Amino acid sequence: MSHGSIIKVPFGPQHPALKEPENFLFEVDGEIVVDVKPRLGYNHRGIEKAFELRTYIQNIYLAERICGICSDAHTTCYTQAIEELLNVELPPRARYIRVIIAELERIHSHALWVGIAAHEIGFDTLFMYVWRDRETVLDLFEMISGNRIHYAMNTIGGVRRDIHAAMVPKIIKGLDFLEERLKYYLRIVQTEQTILKRTVGVGILKPKDAVNLCAVGPTLRASGIKNDVRSDDPYAAYDEIPFNVITHSGCDILSRTLVRCEEMLESIKIIRYALDSMPEGIIRVQVPKKVPQGEVVSRVEAPRGELIHYAKSNGTTKPERYKVRSPTLANIPALCKMLLGGYVADIPIVLAGIDPCFACMDRMAFVDIKQNKKWVWTMQQLRRKYAKE
Amino acid sequence: MEKENEIVEKLKDFLKENLVNVTIPKKRRIFVYIKKDALEEAMEYFVKDLKFKHLSTITGVDLGEEIEVIYHLSYKGSIMLSARLAVSKKNPNIPTITDLIPGAVLYEREVHDLLGVDFERHPDLSPLMLPEKWPKGVYPLRKEYQLKHLREITSEK
Repeated sequence: MSHGSIIKVPFGPQHPALKEPENFLFEVDGEIVVDVKPRLGYNHRGIEKAFELRTYIQNIYLAERICGICSDAHTTCYTQAIEELLNVELPPRARYIRVIIAELERIHSHALWVGIAAHEIGFDTLFMYVWRDRETVLDLFEMISGNRIHYAMNTIGGVRRDIHAAMVPKIIKGLDFLEERLKYYLRIVQTEQTILKRTVGVGILKPKDAVNLCAVGPTLRASGIKNDVRSDDPYAAYDEIPFNVITHSGCDILSRTLVRCEEMLESIKIIRYALDSMPEGIIRVQVPKKVPQGEVVSRVEAPRGELIHYAKSNGTTKPERYKVRSPTLANIPALCKMLLGGYVADIPIVLAGIDPCFACMDRMAFVDIKQNKKWVWTMQQLRRKYAKE
Repeated sequence: MEKENEIVEKLKDFLKENLVNVTIPKKRRIFVYIKKDALEEAMEYFVKDLKFKHLSTITGVDLGEEIEVIYHLSYKGSIMLSARLAVSKKNPNIPTITDLIPGAVLYEREVHDLLGVDFERHPDLSPLMLPEKWPKGVYPLRKEYQLKHLREITSEK
């Protein structure tokens, strides 16, 4: 219903969807969104500049910290870029371990998303259950790497930790539990009215728009377009592992949910296959510290879609230029399209629908101005601060 | 590599003297260097004729006197074509490609913010990544701005 006058409504920067900062300025006519202007950058940390000032080894840890959810996707993309510049062949076992970690990460990231999406539509029971089960993956990560989120598994020339034979039965047990739960959640998503009423026909992104606006990942695949870096431009051991690229053609939030739910089940199959056929041998090779002059484009299918890094080296121990484009940035134009013509009440779930990760997206320029002084804290000051809290 | 070679041959035929050089560093990767003035017709050819429909991102690189702008396009999500050109820092103007690829809108703004390339006819080049009060003409990813300059700017109230 039109009220004949347009009202501007700011949304954010405090937590418009996930617990991360982002600002959207909406123009609404009654209940209908007629214009959207995104404003990014609240999470700028100057990471691209920081890459130029650090050595290739230090940059592994910097890449890990671009994002707190898909940390492994960023280091995979970074290390394979530098390996290509160095012309290093990865040991076969390391390639399989990278796949296993990447798929475990996809499960935990998608599970996190399903929880958030459920929360956005007021279905908090599902949110609690999914997040409880997600702990299984985090426990597996802790067993393999010692950490729940920043696993720090990748290094230039391989991986830092092996998956020992004793771990395999535990991983399989965790996957069996997850598979049963995820099948149950998939059934709920397909049949439960609480979900269907809020997701069917909401946040429409037509295939043509998805292509023109260069959408990526589950957002693109939920508009029926079969693009996945793992199968189109295989890296690690994906060219040796059979798997399906999941697509749905509903173009709405329900399709995006189904794509992610089914991808988790697909990830379980990939991990089982990889554990089964993982070759024996070394897990990393030694690499030189200086990287010869060159440039490379490296791509990975992160949980949120195509992740692309560009590296240019100048023959020293530090890169000349390092560029990161995370999948969330690629999906922002598509997101604005989805919101247009929709209801104000659907904004949160549509926003959450692309699974935005603002920390990833806002990596480059400079800092949070007001927080600037805190940035140059010493370790000692940091310890004191956290000891008090 | 058959498909890659085929694309390179087509590029050579179409671009002629506007092509500076082209390389295939590995499977599914093509780098092509074009002349600045040929940008619009080259992009139209890549997107419409060669079906490089997906723009992954635009990278800006500071070369000293010039800024290199690289368009990372992909064909069916698989073959990456990185088309590049150089603009002088004194006059960093190139036409926008947003009318051809609407998805380029934020990538162009990002390069504008951080490296100061002006995309002519772009619908909105207001700051995207940098704060509102960021001084005009300071482009943090240019090499002449060192960390200490940027720290001075961010600590000013």
